[in-house]
Amino acid sequence: MNETDARAVYQKALKAHRFRERAALAAVHVGLVFYVLLSVYPLLRIFSVSLRPGDRIISTDLSLIPAGASFLSYMKVLHETNFLFWLWNSLIITCATSAIGVSLAAAAAYAFSRFRFPGHKTGLTLLLGNEMIPAAMLLLPLFLMIMKLGLINTYLGMIIAYSVTSLPFSIWILKGYYDTIPKSLEEAALVDGTTRFGAFIRIILPLSTPALAIAFLFNFTQAWNEYLVARVVLTDARMYTWTLGLFELQGQYLTQWGMFAAASILVTIPVLGVFLYSSKWLISGLTLGGVKG
Amino acid sequence: MASVSLRKITKRYKDTEVLHDVSLDIADREFMILVGPSGCGKSTLLRMIAGLEECTEGEIVIDGAIVNHLPPREREIAMVFQDYALYPHMTVEQNMSFGLRLRKLPKSQIDARVKDAANILQIQPLLKRKPSQLSGGQRQRVAIGRAIVRKPKVFLFDEPLSNLDAKLREEMRIEIAKLHQRLQTTIIYVTHDQVEAMTLGSRMAVVNGGRIQQMGPPEEVFCRPANRFVAGFIGSPTMNFVRGAFSDIGEGPRFKDDVMSVDLPPLVDGELRKALLDGKPRPAVLGVRPDDVYVMQTEPKDAALATVEVVELLGHRKNLHLKAGKGKLLATVDASFAGAPGDRVSIAFNPGRLHLFDEATQERIALEARTAPRQGAQPTA
Ligand SMILES: Nc1ncnc2c1ncn2[C@@H]1O[C@H](COP(=O)(O)OP(=O)(O)OP(=O)(O)O)[C@@H](O)[C@H]1O
Ligand SMILES: [Mg+2]
Repeated sequence: MNETDARAVYQKALKAHRFRERAALAAVHVGLVFYVLLSVYPLLRIFSVSLRPGDRIISTDLSLIPAGASFLSYMKVLHETNFLFWLWNSLIITCATSAIGVSLAAAAAYAFSRFRFPGHKTGLTLLLGNEMIPAAMLLLPLFLMIMKLGLINTYLGMIIAYSVTSLPFSIWILKGYYDTIPKSLEEAALVDGTTRFGAFIRIILPLSTPALAIAFLFNFTQAWNEYLVARVVLTDARMYTWTLGLFELQGQYLTQWGMFAAASILVTIPVLGVFLYSSKWLISGLTLGGVKG
Repeated sequence: MASVSLRKITKRYKDTEVLHDVSLDIADREFMILVGPSGCGKSTLLRMIAGLEECTEGEIVIDGAIVNHLPPREREIAMVFQDYALYPHMTVEQNMSFGLRLRKLPKSQIDARVKDAANILQIQPLLKRKPSQLSGGQRQRVAIGRAIVRKPKVFLFDEPLSNLDAKLREEMRIEIAKLHQRLQTTIIYVTHDQVEAMTLGSRMAVVNGGRIQQMGPPEEVFCRPANRFVAGFIGSPTMNFVRGAFSDIGEGPRFKDDVMSVDLPPLVDGELRKALLDGKPRPAVLGVRPDDVYVMQTEPKDAALATVEVVELLGHRKNLHLKAGKGKLLATVDASFAGAPGDRVSIAFNPGRLHLFDEATQERIALEARTAPRQGAQPTA
C-alpha cells in the first residue's frame, strides 16, 4: 500500500468517525427535545385555555393561540375574584416560610455537621424517617397542634406548619454540603479572630450558597404549591392562599375554566422569577479545599 | 514576640492518650522545630497551643499568662495550615486582611500592612486573585502573608511545605528562614522532614509516641542522640544499628557481635565502668552513621568482614549495601570507590562518632568524645 492509498483510507475512517459522532449527538438532542415537549405541553395547553373565550376546556382546536383569543379571563380573575388577596397571602406565607425554614436548617445542619453530641445519629435518622411519612398522615397531628396553639386562620400558623415540614430535607441537604467544607477553613478563621458563630456567618454560609439556594427553592415551591395543610388550617376566605382560592373557582355545576387557567398561569410567575434569580447562586465556581490547583 | 511554655501537657481522646506529660519551654524569638513520625502528636500539640484543641491536663503559657481558657482569637497567635486553608470566596487581599478587618483596624493601616507583607513575599501581582487561581507555591505564600500581617506574638506552622514539590520546598525553606531573621518572632514549626528540622530551627524537639524524646540544638541532637529512636529518626540515610554486647575489664570498652569486635572510646559513666569490672558483657546496640563507615578492599581476604551486595551511585557519593554476618550495613563512600557487588571488603568505623545504646532501655550510653585514629573492626576472636 503506497502513501496516497494509506491517506485515503485514513480520510475515510476519519469521515466515518465524525459521522458516528454527529449521529450520536443528534440522537441525544432528539431525546431531549421530546422530553422538553412532554413537560411543556400541559403548560401550553393551560395557556391556550386561558386565552380562549368562554369556559371551554375541551376543544378540538389544537392551535396555541385560539380563534378569538383575549385576556378577558385574566381581567375577570383580577377584578371579579379575590385573586390578588390570595396571591398576597401566599406570598407572605411563602417568603416567611422560606426565610425561616432556611435559617433554621442552616443552623441545625451546622450543628449536625460539626459537633458530636448525644443523639446526633438518632436525630439524623429521625429527620430522614420523618421524610418517609406521607404528608397526609402528618395532617391531623399538625392541625391539632396548630389548633392548641390558637393559630388557626393565622399566617403564623401556616408559616410554622410549612417551615417545619420542609426542615428535614433542608437540613440533610445543607449538612451534606457543610461536610465537604474543610474544617481547617473555620479553624483559620478562629485563629484569625472570629468566634465560631462569626466563622459560620463569614466562611461557611458564603461558601454554601448553592446548597442554601436549593434549600430555599425547595421551601419556596413547597409552601407556594401546598394545598392540604392550607385547607385545614385556613377556613376564613380572607386568609386563603391561591391554591385554596383557585378551587373556589371550581363551581359545583360550572367550573370557570378560563379563569382557572388564567390564575394558574399568573401564579407560576413568582416561582419562575425565583427560579431564574436563584440559578445564579446554584452555579458555584468556587473550588473548596485549596491545596492542589 | 513572646515565650511559650507547655507544662505537663496531657491529651486524651476518649480513652486513647495521644500526648503524655509533655513539657517544653520556648524562648522569645526562638525558632522551635517539632519533628517526629506521622501520628506522633505534633499537630495535636500545635493545635493545643493555638487553642483549637483543649488540654486534658497541664498548662499552656504564652508570654507569661496561662491561656488554657482563652479561645484562639484571644491568644494572639497566627497559624499556617498544612492545606493552607485560604478562604476560597475571598481574594488574596481579602484573605490577608481578614484578621485585621475583624479587629477593626483603620483602612489605611490595613492596606499598608497588606502591602508590606505582599512585598516581602512578592505576591503584589496576585492580590486581586482568588485562591483557586493560584499555584501551590503562591497559595503557600498567601497563607504565610495572612499570618504575618497580623503581627502575632507567636507563629505556628503545621507542615507548611509538605504539599510542595522538592524544588519549591527548598526555596520556601530558605524564605521562611529569612522571614524569621527579619520578623524576629517566636516560631513553632511542625515537620516530619529531616532537612527542615536540621536547617531551620535554633532548637528541635523530637517527638515520638506522644512524648518528647530529646530537645536541643540540631547539631546536638544529631551528634548525641539521646536514645535509639532519635538516632534512627534524625539523619539521612538512617544510622546503622548493630546488635551485640559490650564489656570493659579495665582496658577500655569493647563491643562484639557474632562477626566483629570494635574498640570503643572510654565510657563516661564511672559507676557503669566499675560495674562492668565483673566481666559480664552487657547487651547493647552500636549505632554508626553510613558516613562514618569506612570501607577498604582488603588483602588478605580473611580480614574481610563484609560482602558488597548492592552499589548505588548518588553522584559524588556511593551507597554501599553491605552484608556482615547476619546483619546489614549501609556505607556512604566516595564515588571513586571501585567495589562491585560480591566483593569482600573490610570495614572500619570513625571512633569519635560511635553511638552506644542500652539494649533494654534504648537509652544512650555516653562515650567520651575523642578523635583517635580510625578504628578497624576486627573479626571476633
Ligand atoms: N479526634 C481524634 N480522636 C481520636 N484520636 C485522634 C484524634 N485526632 C488525632 N488523634 C490521634 O492522635 C495522634 C496524633 O495525631 P496528630 O495529628 O497530632 O499526628 P501528627 O504527629 O501531626 O501526624 P502527621 O505527621 O501525620 O500530621 C494520632 O495517633 C491520631 O490518631
Ligand atoms: Mg500533623
